[in-house]
Amino acid sequence: MTGLLFCFICRVLLFREIAALVRKEFMLEFRQRHALAGIVIYVISTVFVCYLTLQRVDKVATWGALVWITAIFTVFNALMRTFQAEGQGVQLYLYTLVSARAVILGKMLYNALLVLLLNTFSLALFLLFLGQGITEQADMVQFFTGLVVGSIGLAAMVTFIAGLAYKAGNSPGLMAILGFPVLIPLLLSVVRFSLHALEGLPWSENRFQLLVMGVLTVSAVLLAALLFPYLWRE
Amino acid sequence: MHPVLKVICASLLLYVAVFSLWVPMVPGLTGTDKREVKPGLNTFRVYGYRTHFSQSSASLQAFLEGDSVYYCTEVQALSDHELAVECVLPDTLSAPIMSVYVNNDTDGTIYLPLALRTAAAAISSGKDAGRCEVKVKNNVYTAFGFPFQPVIFESIRNLMWHVPMWFTMFFLMFISVVQSVAYMLKLQRKPSGEALDRQSGVTALVHDRRAAAAVSVGLVFCILGLLTGSIWARFTWTAWWTNDPQLNGALVVFLLYASYIVLRATVEDDEKRARLSAVYNIFAFVMMVVLLMVMPKFVASLHPGKEGTPAFSSYDLDASLRAVFYPAVAAWILFGYWLYNLRHRISRLQETAYEHIP
Repeated sequence: MTGLLFCFICRVLLFREIAALVRKEFMLEFRQRHALAGIVIYVISTVFVCYLTLQRVDKVATWGALVWITAIFTVFNALMRTFQAEGQGVQLYLYTLVSARAVILGKMLYNALLVLLLNTFSLALFLLFLGQGITEQADMVQFFTGLVVGSIGLAAMVTFIAGLAYKAGNSPGLMAILGFPVLIPLLLSVVRFSLHALEGLPWSENRFQLLVMGVLTVSAVLLAALLFPYLWRE
Repeated sequence: MHPVLKVICASLLLYVAVFSLWVPMVPGLTGTDKREVKPGLNTFRVYGYRTHFSQSSASLQAFLEGDSVYYCTEVQALSDHELAVECVLPDTLSAPIMSVYVNNDTDGTIYLPLALRTAAAAISSGKDAGRCEVKVKNNVYTAFGFPFQPVIFESIRNLMWHVPMWFTMFFLMFISVVQSVAYMLKLQRKPSGEALDRQSGVTALVHDRRAAAAVSVGLVFCILGLLTGSIWARFTWTAWWTNDPQLNGALVVFLLYASYIVLRATVEDDEKRARLSAVYNIFAFVMMVVLLMVMPKFVASLHPGKEGTPAFSSYDLDASLRAVFYPAVAAWILFGYWLYNLRHRISRLQETAYEHIP
């Protein structure tokens, strides 16, 4: 009986389809390694330019701003191709195989992992080059938690916006225009969370921001799951 | 829109425009020349706005109120708007800050809250002796005039302009999101996966045109709300813009819907544009509710109506404001609906000029 129930839940939540799609995304990314390498180089050069110009950052707000500016542009750069990478034909093929909901949820999951990886990498670089003067007082575990939750939220929202922009002809700049206002609420709470963490405030100060981030992310995922099937059909 | 509604709307707008600017303010106090009081003899000036100090100098009284009320021994009217006050305070004062009250027969009891600081050395714990009460008088204008609030002063009239703009914007954006949902439901009614046939696909576009018309008119109200709010902020908070969650949220809402317009402009195909913009519109509406109604409630803000209180409860206690504010809200919402109807009809005409659309 419990097995049957488990099967049913898996079916409703599209686990199997999503898992297959995430696997497909991994393979696609692996075949187009140069794109990912481009983004990694972008991250390295950004952090290195920051290091060359600033040498040492003592102000918590400046450090937080640098990390998040890098994170946002990384997300936009990495996810701009998320629908473009697979051509029209592949999408038509997918449309016959799986539900649109599985497509967007699979992409969101994969993109969340990708963005998490890239942002962790850029954070590590920031700590390596510009960590002095910041890490002494900061609660880095807390900061990293904020980065994880924020990255997932950013990835979810930007994936949805990328789908919208792709369907609208993917004209350059459209994704930024559509994405910026949508991301602002999430960014506000993420930035506030990070600043608190960098100042070394206790967790109790930050619980509310974490809740806001969680609620925004979940609502973005739900809205995307609800609305994406309408985007998808031609 | 029904002609009767148009007449009602126009006359309400006229009423609001006239009365929000014409109703006089009740008398009030604007400030004092000193900011600090100390034990012993204090002399200071008190300035009034629309007051009648000289005219009713016979009945003039002044008080200071901290934890107790201190009667001022000498009150002299220098003009209708300026008082010279002498007040002897006891050696021990417990309240760190005091309010000023002035009484006369014409203006009634008017006061300036938290006007004077007590000199730090003089503060002692415990209540002072010799407590007395202020006898509150009504002014001769009680039924007639907007309340005089410190800091806001005459700009309280902006209540009838600034607040209805946002109400109207919300109303229009709500219409817009309802139309977008209606469009999507029309699409869904067909058997799964199958595209609408040409005829019903085209008729469903009526919802898309309505949604777009509502957003474009709503954006105008959003801009007007931002402008009137900015002017008000300059007057009361001395800056055109302050870093406040409500203000920033309002600006982001403007950007959200501006990018809705941009999105529509980039897609050529009618049905595709309708579909994409409906999806974005629903997303944008949820974001707007989060930005303007949920987030600011939890963050410290200068803007009225924050931290759990609705936006206008502190004003609607006063009957004179209510008499203009409620008609103003009704008038602007009707006006917004009227403009939205016109905008929709224009876009329908523009399209039927090229091809026949039912």
